[in-house]
Amino acid sequence: MQPTLSFEQAPPISVPYRFFLTAPMFGAVAGLILFWLGPAALESRWAPGALAMTHLIVVDFMLQAMCGSLLQFVAVVAGANIWRPRLVATVVHPLITAGAVFLATAFLLERQLLFLAAAFSFAVALGVFLTVMAVALLRTPARGMSIHVLRLAVFGLLVTVVLGVILASTLGMQDTLQSVWSLLTLINVHVAWGLGGWALMLVIGVSYLVVPMFQLTPAYPVWFTRLLPAGLLLVLCLWSLQLLPGLAGAQAWQSGVGIAGVLLAGFYAVTTLWLQARRRRRQADVTLIFWRGAMLALLALAVSWLVFEALPRLGNHERAPLWLGVLALPGVFLSVIIGMLYKIMPFLNWLHLQQQGGTAMPPPNMKQMIPEAAMRGQMRLHFAALLLLLAAVLWPAVARPAGLIFTASCLWLEWNLVGAARVYARFRDKIRAANAASSAAP
Amino acid sequence: MPDPRVIDGRDMEAPEPLERAVAELASLAPGEELVMLLRCEPLPLYAILDRNGFIHRSEPRADGSNEIHISKA
Repeated sequence: MQPTLSFEQAPPISVPYRFFLTAPMFGAVAGLILFWLGPAALESRWAPGALAMTHLIVVDFMLQAMCGSLLQFVAVVAGANIWRPRLVATVVHPLITAGAVFLATAFLLERQLLFLAAAFSFAVALGVFLTVMAVALLRTPARGMSIHVLRLAVFGLLVTVVLGVILASTLGMQDTLQSVWSLLTLINVHVAWGLGGWALMLVIGVSYLVVPMFQLTPAYPVWFTRLLPAGLLLVLCLWSLQLLPGLAGAQAWQSGVGIAGVLLAGFYAVTTLWLQARRRRRQADVTLIFWRGAMLALLALAVSWLVFEALPRLGNHERAPLWLGVLALPGVFLSVIIGMLYKIMPFLNWLHLQQQGGTAMPPPNMKQMIPEAAMRGQMRLHFAALLLLLAAVLWPAVARPAGLIFTASCLWLEWNLVGAARVYARFRDKIRAANAASSAAP
Repeated sequence: MPDPRVIDGRDMEAPEPLERAVAELASLAPGEELVMLLRCEPLPLYAILDRNGFIHRSEPRADGSNEIHISKA
């Protein structure tokens, strides 16, 4: 039988919504940076513009949306008690936002003090978030692979944050602090845990539940659900061995570990696409198409990685990592996140309104919370932006239009999500007015 | 006893069965039964039923799905 959702413990709707409504705005800012800097932002992965855009997307878009979703999801799926969710969100949300702005500005302006401010903000925000999340996930009575994988993802975020704070502190105190590791080694391990151990692990854990439930596919095979996260964790541990003294230069086995990692990711993408091809309902809603797009991008990433390994002249090109980065960030993760937001927000609207109005004042239909045409239009713009961003890696002259289209896609997403929040507020006010009128009646 | 109303939610995308069930509850007469066929245990629905004065019992079916019988308390 499929796993089950529970809603006894759902936190107040303002907790996830503040994260959801902030996330797309910083995607828009990242697009504007690309528009402003043009081809210079895509010279290499070390270009200040590329680093600033990357962190605005991974922290202020992805991490915001993922933290907001996880606060909701852990309560709902694991039935776990989140300690004072409103307080946690009040501390974590502004600090993550500020931390990413400090970090992006630090990269753009090369200001050491801003790196330190970012390190401090992230250490506090994610220290609180990880503690609360770890306690909730360890104490939940719920069982199942989804929960185990969520625990692994939270551990992945912990490693990413620790390495990220070390990196930002090292950049902020270059004159006084000498890291025992080379920056490149630290960055290699930080990126692998951030994208593989946190973001992909979270997508995997969530997909075990939502792909069969929302997309009416068969369940993932049990052996697969166990093997995949264990394999990914093993790959990440082996990859992290480069932090050990004397092993930093062992490129041959590092390359093998990298290949094993992308093969696992590609295997996951193919399995998900295969399950989606066997779905019981033929209609494809936007969430399904976003997931499909994400899995195709993940497959393209795995194939590109293998091609870069096979053809070192291509793989050593300065912009090769940018190609992989565009496939991973807007391609895989933003696609999944946007697709899920279009499912989560109408559902949370409906659920919270149902709780307030009961059967006497049933909430509007979930499909009316965000107009279908608006979601489809934004989805087309998102995938157009993705293709343009990939084109901009090949031909940097396209960078400015790519940045503008990406900004437009993020703003449209914001508009759609704000629209959903306004539907909630409008109907909630209606229920309150009706309750007030009935209690005032003699 | 009238024939029960049936919602076969086995091939509906979540959370459509939940939405349909709540729409049916408003007009469920005393003694009348709503039967749902689902591939999962609908805990959110149970919470809604408990809050609104309905009782439910769930029976597993041979195909692995659940048959949930709902009526007014």
